[in-house]
Amino acid sequence: MLTFKLQFVIGVALLTVFAILVNMIRKRSLELKYALVWILMLVALLIFDCAPSLLNVVSGLIGIYAPVNMIFFLGFCFSLLIIFSLTVALSRLSNSIRTLDQMVALNEKRLQELESQIGQGRGEDTMKEGQPKETDLSGVVDITE
Amino acid sequence: MKKLVIIPAYNESGNILRAVADIREHAPDFDYVIVNDCSTDATLRLCREHGLNHVNLSVNLGIGGAVQTGYLYGIQNGYDLAVQFDGDGQHDAAYLPCMAEELIRSGSDMVIGSRFIEREGFQSSGLRRIGIRYFSCLIRLLTGARVTDPTSGMRMVNRDVMAIYANNYPKDYPEPESVVAILRMGKKVTELPVVMRELREGDSSHGGMISAYYMIKVTVAILLECLRKVHASC
Repeated sequence: MLTFKLQFVIGVALLTVFAILVNMIRKRSLELKYALVWILMLVALLIFDCAPSLLNVVSGLIGIYAPVNMIFFLGFCFSLLIIFSLTVALSRLSNSIRTLDQMVALNEKRLQELESQIGQGRGEDTMKEGQPKETDLSGVVDITE
Repeated sequence: MKKLVIIPAYNESGNILRAVADIREHAPDFDYVIVNDCSTDATLRLCREHGLNHVNLSVNLGIGGAVQTGYLYGIQNGYDLAVQFDGDGQHDAAYLPCMAEELIRSGSDMVIGSRFIEREGFQSSGLRRIGIRYFSCLIRLLTGARVTDPTSGMRMVNRDVMAIYANNYPKDYPEPESVVAILRMGKKVTELPVVMRELREGDSSHGGMISAYYMIKVTVAILLECLRKVHASC
């Protein structure tokens, strides 16, 4: 069912993508951790491309009539796997961004407090902790932008 | 006893000064901290110009992340209790001293300012009220606790709960979920009747899609919360 010509075209395409992938990892524009699933997929497809008879065996094993469907099914599974791994990575990332943002904000605040303390010098009356020269807002009734 | 008011602020330049003035006048023994959630308007500039005590987030985190920053601040600076107070003018600072008194008197871990005990003031729209009722029932069913206003943003907590929330706090629509989390840890939650104002500026009236998302997200979150181990480490 796979002509040699098609087999060849697919093989070249897969190898090209593989080369691009490896090059990107080499240049560190792609994190190996997240590229691993892609590499796995490419290798699996390459194996089936080189040995189409293997495809018949495997599809027969799980009861799929046409080996081509096996390809589709495999591709679908891999896509889901990749999307899921991205969701996991995204969740982790958003948590780390949150923590980082909060720590940066709180440290910035501390830094400002320290700076203003140093600026005030010693001996002067220390203002209420962390609340530098406040303006009197008691007259504020309505502020329109 | 050190008391902290946490004011999460996202684009609140029209209200923030009023909120701070309100706190200084009606709750003078409370310190406050404004958490500027990367506002795109003049909120940060106002905070700087008027020397308001503020923490500035450089990436917008949403209400959950902003409030959590306040709890972290409270823990770092040794506060004994912290209360969340919306900067948009719907909360009234006059209730803060009563809430603090109630927290200490009843020995609870959290005091919620509830609109639905006395049923006074702005009761929010009909559909929203039904939603709040539903969450109330859900919480009753799952934890046995009676919370009439689980979505209230006016909540005072002691240092214990502050530490819990500093570790773990939901990202969006955090209120009902976080109440369930501490109820399951056996914390005591009481409510105090408060009157809330209708929003003056900016609107929190969510569209249909958003409220559908709200209902589903919070329901799933509460159910999942009940699947978590009680004393799960952060």
